[in-house]
Amino acid sequence: MKKIHRRSLLAASAFAALAPRARAAEPVTLTVWSWLPNLQVELDMCTAANPGLKFQLTNAGQAGPEYAKLRTALKAGTGAPDIVQLELDMVRSFAQVRGLADLAQLGMADMSAQYVPYTWQEVTEGRRINALPWDSGPMGQIYREDIAKAHGFEPPRTWDEFADAAKALRKTSPDTYLTNATFSDGGWVTGLLWQAGWRPFQVDGDHLTIRIKSDATQRFAAYWQKLIDARAVDTSAGFTTDWYQSLARGRYAIWLTAAWGPVFLSQFAQSSAGKWRAALLPQWNAAAPSNGNYGGSALAITATSQHKQEAATAIRWLLGQSAPARAFASKQFLFPVLDSLLKDQSFLDTPYPFFGGQAANQVFAKASSQVGTDFQWSPFNDYFVAQIGNECGAVASSGGSLEGAFDTLQARVVRFARQQGFTVAT
Amino acid sequence: MTYVGLRPGSAAYGRSRRLGTLLLVVPLAYTMLPLVYLLIASTKTQSDLFETFGFAFGHSNALWQNIRTVFTFQDGIFGRWLLNTALYSGVSAVGATALCSAAGYAFSRYRFRGRGVLFAIVLGAVMIPQTALTIPIFLLLSKVGMVDTPLAVILPSLVFPLGVYLMRVYVDQAVPADLLDAARLDGAGEFRVFATIAFPLITPAAVTVLLLSFVATWNNYFLPLVMLSTPSLYPATVGLASWYSTASAGGGSQALFPLVMTGSLVAILPVLLAFLGLQRFWRGGLASGGVK
Repeated sequence: MKKIHRRSLLAASAFAALAPRARAAEPVTLTVWSWLPNLQVELDMCTAANPGLKFQLTNAGQAGPEYAKLRTALKAGTGAPDIVQLELDMVRSFAQVRGLADLAQLGMADMSAQYVPYTWQEVTEGRRINALPWDSGPMGQIYREDIAKAHGFEPPRTWDEFADAAKALRKTSPDTYLTNATFSDGGWVTGLLWQAGWRPFQVDGDHLTIRIKSDATQRFAAYWQKLIDARAVDTSAGFTTDWYQSLARGRYAIWLTAAWGPVFLSQFAQSSAGKWRAALLPQWNAAAPSNGNYGGSALAITATSQHKQEAATAIRWLLGQSAPARAFASKQFLFPVLDSLLKDQSFLDTPYPFFGGQAANQVFAKASSQVGTDFQWSPFNDYFVAQIGNECGAVASSGGSLEGAFDTLQARVVRFARQQGFTVAT
Repeated sequence: MTYVGLRPGSAAYGRSRRLGTLLLVVPLAYTMLPLVYLLIASTKTQSDLFETFGFAFGHSNALWQNIRTVFTFQDGIFGRWLLNTALYSGVSAVGATALCSAAGYAFSRYRFRGRGVLFAIVLGAVMIPQTALTIPIFLLLSKVGMVDTPLAVILPSLVFPLGVYLMRVYVDQAVPADLLDAARLDGAGEFRVFATIAFPLITPAAVTVLLLSFVATWNNYFLPLVMLSTPSLYPATVGLASWYSTASAGGGSQALFPLVMTGSLVAILPVLLAFLGLQRFWRGGLASGGVK
């Protein structure tokens, strides 16, 4: 830690020599767009540690609305913030339209070793660094221990056990489903496929290799098709009033979710607090465990920022130092991406009353270490994820074949990529 | 006076009335159910919101608590947002009504070169949704440094092509050319003819345009979202959306969902009041048209 600190001091003093003299005299105000609740707390910590940096924080909405606003401002060349929060899967898409500054040129190449490898992979392209990882969403299952006990099942360790438990539960308890499979949520489908070994894109500048249809999708589609056809799982859309209520009232025994799920759930399922437990995601092959990521975000510096150097100092401090990282993890419950924090005993041993005192961080820290590291996002990811949700969601709600959905997706995304000017191999 | 249609009291009249009522129940339910849901949701605590049936009341009445929190959360910024919304909608509605009345009057009562083409452009503009124009407008306003100011929301909202069309049609019907000629003979200038003779005759249509434009700006989300980045300039729509995104981002200790519900309820009350207060003028307009 100390070594890094000294290096960043060195870097900062080198920049100070290059920067105009005015910088030392008056503080720079950096504009920040983020939807994280109470981010002002950590920004104030940053100002206290770096008196030259002040912040103006805007909540431009979560994901979609912020991206619309950001695209407009980038196109106009003015009005974009200095620092912007992006979901991990959207970083490459904004880099593709040259919206983001290259952090490698702002002296951040030395940061790579601090982060969980798969999150670093998501924000970089070769030597280029598009953003710094902020939080992540390694997948896991959270389940109702009381329901599991009453129906005599353990949290399934393999997908085979999961399928058996799903069918068995339908027989004994008509009001309860083992889980709800939210196929209309493209991010959720992607996370599970990531675990199954899916690597739909290889990106090399304007050259794309697209393999949406693969062995992974075939196995995934065949598995879930059986459960859907047997009505062994519910397939309602996620994040609707119905879905919130079903989780809160114990209609679903298991939620296949990510590391941010527990805190999210504790907000609206207060009456079942203490009955929940966290466990690792079921495995395809218990001998060679793997995992995928669902959600998480990063901080980037826009290409139009007039204060790139100062913004770099700020995000380097916010996302590299342990004090703010601890605050993000303990106050806003962002799941950490810093290796050092993921190995920290006090973080790992924190008991959660919502989980009946279970140290849930241990489960998700292990989940994080099992995520495949070579996953690449498409350079038009909002389109891609929306298409997955549309196609798979249609199968879940009105029938059809999941395997067919991936055939359709392969053809459609290849056509779209060519229209966008990419050279496509399949 | 003889009735052309069915006689009240006859069996056929009763049947068709019942059928009509039944047909109206569907759109009534369609418009009222979300409002009823909102009203009920505003009385709930966060856990009741997610754990009790949507159209039934919760275990306790938290309405006053919710309202208090709405107006005190983040140093009471919601009050500021409501005032902003009122300012943007008020100025936009009055300005748009003045522009539409003048333009509609001119299209109806003056003969000038290019009138047909210009009116065709206005009609064409009715077809373009404002959302599609937001990004070009942002590019224009950013050139003159007007982005992130109230004018960035107000100026685009002054343009209301449908209002111009409505006013022109209404002036055609409601303002006799002879009356204007008489005023001119008496020595009134063109502006005075418009303002004191024509305008009172077209007030009912002007109120309609005022209301339509007021509600459009009140409810506008995308334009202010793109134009404004300073939270203290937000209107209620963008502000509530930012609360909602904070809520669904996992506010942890904060129970924000009831805030979004109650804030939404509070934010639609002024529009309801505006409609109730102004419908007198509106109905007057419809009735006077009926007598003619």
